Amino acid sequence: MSYNFNFSVIWRQFDVILEALALGLVLAAISLVVGTLIGLVCGYAFRTNSRVLKGLVWTYVEFIRNVPLLLLIFFCYFGLPAIGIRVFDKYESFVITLSVYAGAYLTEVFRAGLTSVPERYVEAARAIGLKPWQTQLYVVLPLTFRIVLPSLSNNFISLFKDTSLAAAIAIPELTFTARQINANTFRVMEAWLTASLLYLAVCYLIAIVLRRVEKRYSVIK
Amino acid sequence: MTDDSNRTTDEETATSRRNLFAGALGTAVVAGAMLGAGKAEARVDSSKSKLQEVLSRGVLRVGTGSTNPPWHFEDDSGKLVGMDIDMARLIAKSLFDDETKVEFVIQGSDARIPSLITDKVDVICQWMTVTAGRAQQVDFTVPYYREGVGVLVMADNSKYKKFDDLLKAGNGITVGAMQNVFIEDWIHKGLPEAKVDQFESPDATLQALNAGRVDAYLGDQSAIRWLMNQFPGRYADSGYGWLPNSYASAVRPGDPIWLNWVNTVYKEAMMGVDFDTMKASYKKWFGIDLPTPKVGFPTEFQ
Repeated sequence: MSYNFNFSVIWRQFDVILEALALGLVLAAISLVVGTLIGLVCGYAFRTNSRVLKGLVWTYVEFIRNVPLLLLIFFCYFGLPAIGIRVFDKYESFVITLSVYAGAYLTEVFRAGLTSVPERYVEAARAIGLKPWQTQLYVVLPLTFRIVLPSLSNNFISLFKDTSLAAAIAIPELTFTARQINANTFRVMEAWLTASLLYLAVCYLIAIVLRRVEKRYSVIK
Repeated sequence: MTDDSNRTTDEETATSRRNLFAGALGTAVVAGAMLGAGKAEARVDSSKSKLQEVLSRGVLRVGTGSTNPPWHFEDDSGKLVGMDIDMARLIAKSLFDDETKVEFVIQGSDARIPSLITDKVDVICQWMTVTAGRAQQVDFTVPYYREGVGVLVMADNSKYKKFDDLLKAGNGITVGAMQNVFIEDWIHKGLPEAKVDQFESPDATLQALNAGRVDAYLGDQSAIRWLMNQFPGRYADSGYGWLPNSYASAVRPGDPIWLNWVNTVYKEAMMGVDFDTMKASYKKWFGIDLPTPKVGFPTEFQ
């Protein structure tokens, strides 16, 4: 292949690239937090006896999990204004979409997590006189979080990678910036190579850090 | 570098004998295109030119897109049409006397240079703006259209109707545009304070205008004219245009024979024997009536 690499355009804009990377991480982190809340609420809803509630949660989870994320993003960004909802800017639209998306996956995670808290802990909590909400707050939830920690960190990594789709709605994260460099300089190989390596490095770093956290807090040592 | 190319040339001489006819034909074409560095070996081996390769393959591979009217898009029957497509067909007609012998490789804008460099296509006919940076990586043909930008707004938008309204709004407006070279600078040349949202494709940009995500759509004048024709009464031209830029085809660098040949085809379509083809295309896609080139002294050299 007769191609002469020229990375100078990358170095010249490296601060912009790092900002873009940080933006992606922030978007993923917010979505993980909101998604976790959604997941917890829906996870609990699944454990109630209400058929209506279960049906609603089931519909939500199945709908979100079976529609491509990009279409959800487009729906929130292009579709909502078309039906008269014009309150969210592009960042809010994206974070809402990604949170709702993460929520669906985390619902399943928390459902499994809540189920796998051994019954004997709940019984023990009741035996020492804890009220039901205290049992949940001091016994079940901490255990659940320790059980689902590996799933949470996997989700965070995958959410971070999903932020690349924000480029489609003009959010200047890493993929957008790489494409920007492509458009401006046509250094396509250099731009995508840099973006790929950054995604790889950051995801790997997150994985290493979170694995250590998991090791420290895991239920089974 | 010189050593390397000499070595390749020697090897190639051995293999190229099998096609003596092609070699002879190529030599005739190349007579004026020698890269003479004083040495006979440095002459371009014409049998190795893309021109010969395409002729013996019998079909031309063209890199283009399919989503940008009036340049390259699918008409109601799903057929690929547009100005770029016409240029590709013109090359095919000039090669094989058959404009259907084209294989279109549909690709995104950012694949234009890589697909040439990796030799997936013979030529790019994909509304490619000529820039010095790109010219370091590919060889551009002569341009076949001069584009400029303009600003489109929704016709029912009471706030921003004319360009001056947009200008007065300062940083209170967001202008949508397709991600392209210099796009932000370009917008700011016309609207210095406007916020800019960049999208991957013109249709996403237009959708952002429809959804009210952006207040105005910066696009090529050719596209603006096309959109207003397609959706009468829906959009309005804010009535100001700026920034000339040239659209040309591009070929893989280092093949002067092929480049020169495509140039000849384009030049004669604009000024010579194939003028009627060009005239029809301009009328069809841009609504522009081209005046017949003046007979006598070639005006392009005046």
